[in-house]
Amino acid sequence: MKVLAAGVVPLLLVLHWKHGAGSPLPITPVNATCATRHPCHSNLMNQIRNQLAQLNGSANALFILYYTAQGEPFPNNLDKLCGPNVTDFPPFHANSTEKTRLVELYRIIAYLGASLGNITRDQKVLNPNALSLHSKLNATADIMRGLLSNVLCRLCSKYHVAHVDVAYGPDTSGKDVFQKKKLGCQLLGKYKQVIAVVAQAF
Amino acid sequence: MAVFSVFQTTFFLALLSLRTLQSEVLSEPLPWAPESLKVSINSTHQCLHLQWSVHNLAYHQELKMVFQIEISRIKTSNVIWVENYSTTVKGNQLLHWSWESQLPLECAKHFIRMRSAVDDATTPEQRFWSNWSSWEEVDVQNSLGHEPLFVFPKDKLVEEGSNVTICYVSRSQQNNISCYLEGVRMQGQQLDPNVSMFNLHNVAFIRETGTNIYCKVDRGDDIKGIVLFVSKILEEPKDFSCETRDFQTLSCTWDPGRDTGLLKQLPQSYTLFESFSGKKTLCKHKGWCNWQVAPESQEMYNFTLTAENYLRKRSVHILFNLTHRVHPMAPFNVLFKDVSVTNATMTWKVHSTGNYYTLLCQVELYGEGKVIQKHNVSVKVNGELVLSGLEPDTEYSAQVRCANANHFWKWSEWTRQNFTTVEAAPSEAPDVWRNVKSVQGYCVVTLFWKPLSRLQANGEILFYNIVVEDLDRPSGLQLLSVPAPANRTELTLDQRAYQIHVTANNSVGTSPASVLVVSGDPGDEEVEEERVKGTEDGFSLSWKPQPGNITGYIVEWCDRPRDPLCDLQWKHLGPNTTSTVISSDAFRPGVRYNFRIYGISTEMVPYLLEKKTGYSQELAPSDNPRVVMSNLTSHSFTLSWKDYSTESQPSFIRGYHVYLKSKAGQCHPGSEKAVLSDDSVCCKYKIDDPKQKMFVVGNLQPESFYEFLVTPYSAVGEGPHGAFTKVTTPDEYSPMLIRIILPMIFCILLIMILCYLKSQWMKEKCYPDIPDPYKSSVLSLIKSKENPRLTIMNIKDCVPDTIEVVNKHEGTGKSPTEPEAAKPTYLYLLPAEESYSGPGPCICFENFTYNQAASDSASCGHVPVPTKAPSQLGLLTSSENLLTALEKNCMNSLEEIPAGESSLNYVSQVASPVSGDKSSLPTNPPQPELCSEYKMQMAIPLGLAAPSSSGSSSLSSITLLDEGEHYH
Repeated sequence: MKVLAAGVVPLLLVLHWKHGAGSPLPITPVNATCATRHPCHSNLMNQIRNQLAQLNGSANALFILYYTAQGEPFPNNLDKLCGPNVTDFPPFHANSTEKTRLVELYRIIAYLGASLGNITRDQKVLNPNALSLHSKLNATADIMRGLLSNVLCRLCSKYHVAHVDVAYGPDTSGKDVFQKKKLGCQLLGKYKQVIAVVAQAF
Repeated sequence: MAVFSVFQTTFFLALLSLRTLQSEVLSEPLPWAPESLKVSINSTHQCLHLQWSVHNLAYHQELKMVFQIEISRIKTSNVIWVENYSTTVKGNQLLHWSWESQLPLECAKHFIRMRSAVDDATTPEQRFWSNWSSWEEVDVQNSLGHEPLFVFPKDKLVEEGSNVTICYVSRSQQNNISCYLEGVRMQGQQLDPNVSMFNLHNVAFIRETGTNIYCKVDRGDDIKGIVLFVSKILEEPKDFSCETRDFQTLSCTWDPGRDTGLLKQLPQSYTLFESFSGKKTLCKHKGWCNWQVAPESQEMYNFTLTAENYLRKRSVHILFNLTHRVHPMAPFNVLFKDVSVTNATMTWKVHSTGNYYTLLCQVELYGEGKVIQKHNVSVKVNGELVLSGLEPDTEYSAQVRCANANHFWKWSEWTRQNFTTVEAAPSEAPDVWRNVKSVQGYCVVTLFWKPLSRLQANGEILFYNIVVEDLDRPSGLQLLSVPAPANRTELTLDQRAYQIHVTANNSVGTSPASVLVVSGDPGDEEVEEERVKGTEDGFSLSWKPQPGNITGYIVEWCDRPRDPLCDLQWKHLGPNTTSTVISSDAFRPGVRYNFRIYGISTEMVPYLLEKKTGYSQELAPSDNPRVVMSNLTSHSFTLSWKDYSTESQPSFIRGYHVYLKSKAGQCHPGSEKAVLSDDSVCCKYKIDDPKQKMFVVGNLQPESFYEFLVTPYSAVGEGPHGAFTKVTTPDEYSPMLIRIILPMIFCILLIMILCYLKSQWMKEKCYPDIPDPYKSSVLSLIKSKENPRLTIMNIKDCVPDTIEVVNKHEGTGKSPTEPEAAKPTYLYLLPAEESYSGPGPCICFENFTYNQAASDSASCGHVPVPTKAPSQLGLLTSSENLLTALEKNCMNSLEEIPAGESSLNYVSQVASPVSGDKSSLPTNPPQPELCSEYKMQMAIPLGLAAPSSSGSSSLSSITLLDEGEHYH
């Protein structure tokens, strides 16, 4: 029972994160036993690569769709408003071991997933008629959820990593509208930049 | 003057002392001065909230007081707002007051102070102002943080047309900052070195998602901005009304007006409040709301509809009696009973609204889509109405609606139901006309009739009965039934008069009969055709009134004259009518329509009066005739277009134009120059008679190139200038040469054929193988000119003695009989004594010239002799012919026969007597076979004979056995 409480519950929490989950998961003991609800797919790494390629393929379109929907001055001041200036973004080292890369990928996708949730929520209010943007945001979030699950499966099955500490971006709910737009743009700019590197690394 | 100066000084001193005294009094704290002043801010609404209490006010005490509030910006001396706030103050009460700043509070320091005065009738002695409170400073800038640039106000929501002030706060004075609205730079006003503000006047609604306003530091890498939300002004609900349909629910509706264009989170809301019951409901919909009618039979209602959004609230009121706002539900169960030919009874029911109310119901009867009857009926529960004046077999539609009869509010919806009256017998006779043709001694009568109108048919026409009555034999009736919807039938009658009755029948009965008499002779051909001019409105026809009894006239025409069926039309006209206008939607421009006007006698016999023809609109001819060119000479050619029909043209053809193009470009008399649409010049001949369909183009140059075109013309123009036909005239002499050469060739050919056919005869006549000296003109020539004694040797005078046949075989060893075996050669010897008188026994050598076999043997002199030759040789003794033949054959062959090989030697034993008796010459000597020459057979005197080398050479092959003349 203790095993369950220590390993599975945090995992479930990670797998079922919701939009706007602002606080990091509690750090679980290092010796937590690794367990997955379902057996991992045999060709897991290929699936991860495909998902990364899928995200990488759609990241630029999502970015363009986003800043276009925000109106001026966003499309003409991308460097100042949408530059990838996300200070607390999880790092990624492409030359490290697969285990390290998977752990870092996990942190990145968890971060991005939460941020995308905030962006989606904000855009539904701020741009209620930008349906294609909403659709693209939702599709990206869906892929990220699958990728997160696959990465965790891989970590668990091969490296017996049961828990990864993750951090999330700032919650934008209290920000003013312009700031929400700007933060979202910065995040998607960063996402576009990072996902290219990550996809290349795998 | 001095006194005045002293008085003035004294007055000023007194006034000064009074002022000093007053100041001292006022400086003392009043018992009800404001205290504990606290200032807080609401950045979202840009509001300053003041909270204070009143000093020394007893717990139970109530005072009406005035508080004067001063607000300064940036520095205390810059007072921007002064307001007197009046209120009734109770003991220990905390007082509140708010002020909304136009400038965002973050952009400047604000200072607030206040003082109070009692404005209460109970304490008139306390009407002086208290001392000012100390200045309260509001400075938000300190709490902004350390970012280099801030823009305010954040996410401000304003109404369209309002004024907004934007400001920025920069942390660095060196920064050059520019701000933009929708990409357009804004001109600002600097409040202090770090703060500038921008006044936006009369802001417009741009989009629901707000307007981005942003500022950026030149050469900086950051942009700060805000989003300004501009909403449209909330409108007052229009057409607010409530009604009930069932006395259980009030349905209230209104027009919300235009959308405010705010985000979904900030839409306008609508609230319904009823003051008598005190109930309130939040409407879920933008334009309507339902209200439950109170069970306690509340009759009066006072509704307030409030529209509210973030910025504004608007209300409308209505007061009404429930019974005056009844909108009945649509009637139901609409039925028709007792439907007859002209009447029907309509019944319906209404929803119960209590027995206290009477409904007024309106019934509308529709026929053919139009309202033909309207009725109003008072109804409690069931309604009933008799509809009369209807047409038989007609479909009608009736609809009914109801409203409160006592207090009209609204009609219910219509309830509609259809019904059809029953049929009756047709009321009118069908309109009948005929077309009569004579075919092989019979009259083929095609009867046409127009279908009866709905009003005339009174039901569905099932069939037409046709009764043909022979007027000469009244008993001879013929009955024919044609099922509907046929509108024609064909009858074949003999050349007698018949009366035809046509009736239409439906399921109820028969129509009156339409009567027509058909006589044997149509008599149509004797009337001349006149031309009429049609217009867009039709053809205006008129005719001469007919004397005698006329029951009417009929004008007949075809709507589609070019079709075989032609769609025959006719129009009945009264006996006093002599003109009419025939119009039809089928009339087309460029189509010739033929009209026939018939008079109808009292015996119902139609007879043709006039024929008219015309076009509704004439069009220019569309086709040119197909022209055949003939009789082409060097100076003329003939054009003809016999098969061109002027009747089928789109206008009356008045003639033809013949265009002739030539290189010379000169036009002869009878033609005129014309310039075509392609600017080419040609000669135009005009033919004024449309029946003239031939034209001779003359005055042409030989060996010249011409182009011609024949086009018809009418009153509206001429035919198309299509392709010209090219023609080149021949040269002048060719025909003459042809006239000579052709007969010559023919003659030569004829002669050649004759020569061929009569070659034998010709040969005998002109160049026989053995010429007949008697027939030779040479003889006559010689005889006449040189020697009249010259005669021709008579064959009878020559008596051959012996023929020695010498056969010499050399080398080959070939038997001389061999050729005989292959080609039998024969030798006849005629007796010398026997006179020759025509055909008879003669001596003949085979003519090898005409014997291919002998020719092949290549031996003219090789005369094979059969082994039994002696008996035959005997015949040779008296044959002159043989001599001649031998000579002839040998002469032709001597050079080819090797000497000594084979030879036939003729030994003449009798010298040829020279006889001057010409008459002794045989009249019909035997014909020589081969190689005949005159000189060889003529007895020429020695003096005249000139020995030739050839002659001497030939001697070697002939051995003369006796002295005498010898001839070759």
